[in-house]
Amino acid sequence: MLPEFELLMPRSLPEALEMLAGSAPDVLPIAGGTNLIPDMRGGRYRPGLLLNVAGLPELCAIRREEEWLVIGGGVTIADLLDDPLVAQHAPVLREAARMLASPLVRNRATVAGNLANASPAADTAPPLLVLDAEVELASRGESRRVPLREFFVHVRRTVRRPDELITTIRIPLPPAGSSARFFKVALRNADAIAVVNGAVRVDRDGAGRCQGARIALGAVAPTPIRVPEAEAALEGQWLTPEVIARAARLAAEAARPIDDLRGSAAYRQHVTAVMVRRALAEHGTRNTE
Amino acid sequence: MSQGESPELRTVGKPVRRFDALSKAIGATVYADDFKMPGMLYGKALRSPYPSARIVRIHTDRARALPGVACVLTAADIGYAKMIADIPGQTGQRERRGSETPVLAWDRVRYKGEAVALVAAESEELAERALELIHVEYEPLPGVFNPVEAMKPGAPVVFEPDNVVARWKIRKGDVKAGFAAADLIVENTYRVPFVEHAYLEPESGVAWVDERGVINIRVSTQVMEHFRTIARTLGVPQNRVRVQGAFVGGGFGGKEDITTELFLALLAQHTRRPVRLVYTREESILAHSKRHPYIIHHRIGVKKSGRITAVQIELIADSGAYPYLTPYVLLYSTVMATGPYRVDNVWVDAVAAATNNPFTSAFRGFGGPQPCFAYESQMDEIARALGKDPLEVRRVNYLQAGDTTGTGQVIRHPPLLEETARRALEALGEKTPDHGPVRVGRGFASYFQSYGRLMWLHDTSQAWVGMEMDGTVVVRCGAPDHGGGQLSSLCQIASEVLGVPMANVVAYTPDTALTPLAGTTTATRQLYMSGNAVFQAATAVRRVLLDRASKHFEEDPENLDLADSRVFVKSDPDRSLPLVDLVRMCAAEGLPLSNLALFKAPFRDPIDLETGQGDVFPDFTFGTFAVEVGVDTETGQVTVLKNVACHDVGRAINPAAVIGQIQGGSYQGLGYALMENLIVENGEIKTPSLSEYLVPTAVDYPTTQVILLESGTGVGPFGAKGIGEPALTPAAPAVANAVADALGVRIYELPLTPERVLAALERAGDRS
Amino acid sequence: MEPRPIILTVNGRTHQVALKPNVTLLHALRDLGYTDVKNGCEKGDCGACTVLLNGKAVNSCLVLAWQADGAQITTAAGLGTVDHPHPIQEALADSGGIQCGFCTPGIVVAAKALLDRNPDPTEEEIREAISGNLCRCTGYSLIIEGIKAAAARLAGGER
Repeated sequence: MLPEFELLMPRSLPEALEMLAGSAPDVLPIAGGTNLIPDMRGGRYRPGLLLNVAGLPELCAIRREEEWLVIGGGVTIADLLDDPLVAQHAPVLREAARMLASPLVRNRATVAGNLANASPAADTAPPLLVLDAEVELASRGESRRVPLREFFVHVRRTVRRPDELITTIRIPLPPAGSSARFFKVALRNADAIAVVNGAVRVDRDGAGRCQGARIALGAVAPTPIRVPEAEAALEGQWLTPEVIARAARLAAEAARPIDDLRGSAAYRQHVTAVMVRRALAEHGTRNTE
Repeated sequence: MSQGESPELRTVGKPVRRFDALSKAIGATVYADDFKMPGMLYGKALRSPYPSARIVRIHTDRARALPGVACVLTAADIGYAKMIADIPGQTGQRERRGSETPVLAWDRVRYKGEAVALVAAESEELAERALELIHVEYEPLPGVFNPVEAMKPGAPVVFEPDNVVARWKIRKGDVKAGFAAADLIVENTYRVPFVEHAYLEPESGVAWVDERGVINIRVSTQVMEHFRTIARTLGVPQNRVRVQGAFVGGGFGGKEDITTELFLALLAQHTRRPVRLVYTREESILAHSKRHPYIIHHRIGVKKSGRITAVQIELIADSGAYPYLTPYVLLYSTVMATGPYRVDNVWVDAVAAATNNPFTSAFRGFGGPQPCFAYESQMDEIARALGKDPLEVRRVNYLQAGDTTGTGQVIRHPPLLEETARRALEALGEKTPDHGPVRVGRGFASYFQSYGRLMWLHDTSQAWVGMEMDGTVVVRCGAPDHGGGQLSSLCQIASEVLGVPMANVVAYTPDTALTPLAGTTTATRQLYMSGNAVFQAATAVRRVLLDRASKHFEEDPENLDLADSRVFVKSDPDRSLPLVDLVRMCAAEGLPLSNLALFKAPFRDPIDLETGQGDVFPDFTFGTFAVEVGVDTETGQVTVLKNVACHDVGRAINPAAVIGQIQGGSYQGLGYALMENLIVENGEIKTPSLSEYLVPTAVDYPTTQVILLESGTGVGPFGAKGIGEPALTPAAPAVANAVADALGVRIYELPLTPERVLAALERAGDRS
Repeated sequence: MEPRPIILTVNGRTHQVALKPNVTLLHALRDLGYTDVKNGCEKGDCGACTVLLNGKAVNSCLVLAWQADGAQITTAAGLGTVDHPHPIQEALADSGGIQCGFCTPGIVVAAKALLDRNPDPTEEEIREAISGNLCRCTGYSLIIEGIKAAAARLAGGER
């Protein structure tokens, strides 16, 4: 049984923002509920008031706006998988969507929810981090954009104010020659929280050298993180095995994992290096052009 | 028609659709929680948050005062009742010392989750609220959380006087001489964890007291005979407790002990209203039994040829907080500890100790899988040490007809072990090559596993088969069906014997008021026992029909047969009668068209307590499981590439059902090998839901290829053997052998997690 | 927390029920008598509660009933009856992919969602589509065979 709560049912985004303004701070938005409902059952949250944002029409679109891919906060993970714009411009996000939970959960879970829940192991976070995504936070009468890098504060804590909703996730279209990979290590092949996950993006100059690398890791720190030290080691370089190995090692060193029932810190660190190395090596095959 | 002979069979041996299948597919099957009664109350249990504590006081006033609460029960309200948690359903067995278990705890709790109070209220919400209003004053006590510690002097006492719940031993031959004669001795310690049944349907039921004062319990259970225990615990006569068995949404041994039945009965008895009680998933994981963790010290001596000269095994099992069926599980392990091999010199010491961990009891294999991990790992270790092929090492040791087991029981028929191994390995085909950091390995495990119960339990099963006036057939048999197709197989048998199409045979679900007692659906016994009972009963009806028909046709009954609802002369099939006509003739003459049969397993005396020698089980199933795995040497992840199971099933009454059992059991075994780990720390389950306790999904392992051998030598109907539990036993050991083959180094505990794989590689000095 | 009337259209039948906000669609459906929707875990881990919500396969335990107000819901019982079973139901019954049956209604619904989008799925696609539905009895293989057979039957024009 779920604890008792009041549930507000706005029919539009302006109405939702109005209701949030009126009831913040003691209100939680609920969309797919795929984290919130289990958490409420388990006693982690006993919110007195929820605001339903599932299916708000303004939040369900995926569009291209000039040089941006704009994903509505209410877009489900399944929608991401089906969408041709995502497939074309952000295939790394699609890779992550495929490995998130189960097909049933994906039909309800939203991108905004995955980010707002702010689990360190959120599967959409590493791809969005390497895509330099921004989160648009709207409240009544106001909206602001926060780079995703600055969005996560700590385990399950973000900069979202209680009167704000994530209305869009905005991704600057990567340049030609950019490619990115997602990885996830888990204890079974579906419906499993990551032991570690991450994304690696390599943009290249005309000669084929790395011109801007981005590496993001999840489940190895209190929030999903970028790894600037490892990225710097790739900047301007040919992706030789030595360069790759060094970057992978730096990435693992930047990870600050803990021991938990899914894995030890030592294992997470080790496997981070392996997976970053492998992801980079997949880019590296185009090295000798 | 006689057992074991195989004329052209019409229904038996065909993968006919099970009668319950479509109903399940359209969602019409009424499971225990799908059933409503007017005026039904909701029951819930309050459970201890401590693994070891004294109960100082229980305050229930506020809960009792809550409007809508019909009943609050603590031990004091139920006369400090205890139930006997022992092997149910047998006759002639005195109850085992220490098998008493409190229904509700009163002075002490021994495991986290032990039930302390019950409530019944008008709604589920109110019942939960009532639980919150019960205040229990606990005084936490020191606990003990592993069986080795529990047996040390000074350990907290969970089971009087010294935490030892059971001991068994085998002393066969002369192990000292056997080891002296060995060219090589291999000694290792193996460990296996707690495992959770994780059936999809949590424990549930509805109970009510009817107009005659009979307590009715409609419940998800593997055992109808619990009505005796329930009656005794409640202090009512046995004929005033009625258990109705719903189709069970998975059991695997977890619903073999009493789960919700007593709570339901007590709440119904005290409120005089229907009561529904359903466990949440977390509560299910907390409240029911687990597979026993074992520590197995295995010492084996062999000649250069690989021939075993002696075996010395120490088995240490964690019995958890209450014994339940531990002594029997431990016995099964003892009997099967040596594996399907000829060993003349055997020394086994088995002990189970109580701890403040979750209690352990029956789980598919019932003590068979754990030793299999040890003995099959050892066989491969021997092969490696001798530089011999793993199959060769087994070949020179496999049991043959006429050999004896570790307890001296003679194997009557050829076990076909070598054939199962050869065919399973052959079916793996060409070996997948290593690729990148992935090393490919192959392994197999042979096994033997009993079917049918311990013979000194004097097991019986009854079934009633009757023919209606329109030629349709009714089977009444108190066999709970939890998915193995037990009831449907009984229909197939009746259909075969009486020549009536499956569509015209109905089996009623078990109900102690209406169906003869058939014993437990456990121990892979139901097809053997109830199948034989149905065969006997149907045969008796067939005899009446054919005797009458012989007069009609003026033919010997041997020349007559029944098929497609007709009786006909075998040598001249045009001479025939519709079955209904024959039935009317019989009925008109007062001939009995129904029969209640009682089938008895062989009855034996218990084994010698000093030597462990004696005949224990009616029969065994033999087989081999072979698997190919890819091990990622950088991440430690193990991928199952191919897997094959080859078992001698005697006769496959329904091949689709048999294949389903084997694939299902194999999948559970692969899970046991690779991902299932109920992590318990200081008595606390760290994997409390299905998010943390991982069972395999559809994308984890590939299809198990199944090769069936049908020797016809089983003691079940038509020469069938049991397969439900045997299907699981060899899978995890085979995976362990395959991983060892891939890595060149062995892991001695399950599950074979990625971290353990990497640790093993590091041990081998081969970390990538 | 007051109950509010909502409209749930289930298997073509419209129900108006007054429910509190904290009631999940799973409980709302079972209380309405749709006991083919099973409760295996109540937190989205097992898939036994799978229904189609406006055509998409979801865990009904993770949907608040109010969120389904006005929606079209299909359960396994809505796909076929004993006299007119859906080809998926027939095929699973025939393939041996049903043992205890507790996961079956959820799998039937997940399979329906799959075949609606992808009438000729590969084995891999079938496994993926049911990867959120746990089965403890069958090892999945005969379920997959059943779904493949259903796809063939539907392609052959069976309704």
